[in-house]
Amino acid sequence: MNELSRAQIRDLMAQVLKNQDKELPADDGAQLREIGFRSLDFSELALRVEDETGEELNFDAPGLRRIATVSDVLDFLVELQQQ
Amino acid sequence: MSDLADTQLVPPSSVVLVSGGSRGLGLAIVTDLLDHGVRVAAFARTVTPELEKLAAEHPDRVHVGSVDVTDLRAAQGFVREVEQRLGPIDGIVNNAAVGQDSLHVHTSTDDIARIIETNLTAPLQLTRLVIRRMLGKGLRGRIVNITSICAQRGFPGLVAYSATKGGMDAATRSLARELGGRMLVNAVAPGFFASEMSAVLGPTQLDQIVRRTPTGHLTEPVEVVPVVRMLLREHTNINGQVIVVDGAASI
Repeated sequence: MNELSRAQIRDLMAQVLKNQDKELPADDGAQLREIGFRSLDFSELALRVEDETGEELNFDAPGLRRIATVSDVLDFLVELQQQ
Repeated sequence: MSDLADTQLVPPSSVVLVSGGSRGLGLAIVTDLLDHGVRVAAFARTVTPELEKLAAEHPDRVHVGSVDVTDLRAAQGFVREVEQRLGPIDGIVNNAAVGQDSLHVHTSTDDIARIIETNLTAPLQLTRLVIRRMLGKGLRGRIVNITSICAQRGFPGLVAYSATKGGMDAATRSLARELGGRMLVNAVAPGFFASEMSAVLGPTQLDQIVRRTPTGHLTEPVEVVPVVRMLLREHTNINGQVIVVDGAASI
């Protein structure tokens, strides 16, 4: 499987936010609520990762509820690619 | 051929088949029916110790088995066993179902197919099987489909699940028409339980639902079983209906 690196996923996340005239802060500890990154934005990001890798990323909702920071998003998607 | 309605009453069910009867609401329904003198056949993928205990306590009135509801051949075999042990089935509770906890875009196509097969295709086939047995013996009977408030209101993470429950609500109405009063066909749609499948919503959404519920609490199985029993046992003329049990959370 053609996995994306954490940095590549971060770039895609920045694109998702940029399309909404929002900016991804440098601090990965930034809270998603504060930067306006919502659950559907997460879905968009996951689908962009799928587009790049050619592999579907399916997952249940409970894992999403634990995601609160930029770092959590990146960790989740990096781990998901490895499953 | 005349389509005139049959005016004879449908008697209370005396032998009831409950799918998914090993835990949660299904087990509560089995227990309640036994407490009210009904002979009960219950199957589930796994027969739990609780269901085994009921079978041991009521050996003449209970038949249990390990059957996957999607395995039609196994279900056919189970129905034959029940008829031999308890007598002809004249009531069925379609309770077996699998839940969902994933946004539609992130749910695998295999999982969508599995949810539809378990929650919609299987109960339709089981119902067909039992109705054929009942009609063939000249019996009247009652059918209760356990659906969900999800069939009527939207909730994230439950798209395929809601579709199957909506499908069963629709089938309930058409089957009631089709069976022309020879069988009473109804659905019971509980709101979210505090446990089990309601884990899908998470504490924040469950708190919201509780706040919006005039009765101030989530539905408990014990609040649903009397409604199921009524539909199976009482003379009510209720037919083709979906009865919501959710403390008015959805109105």
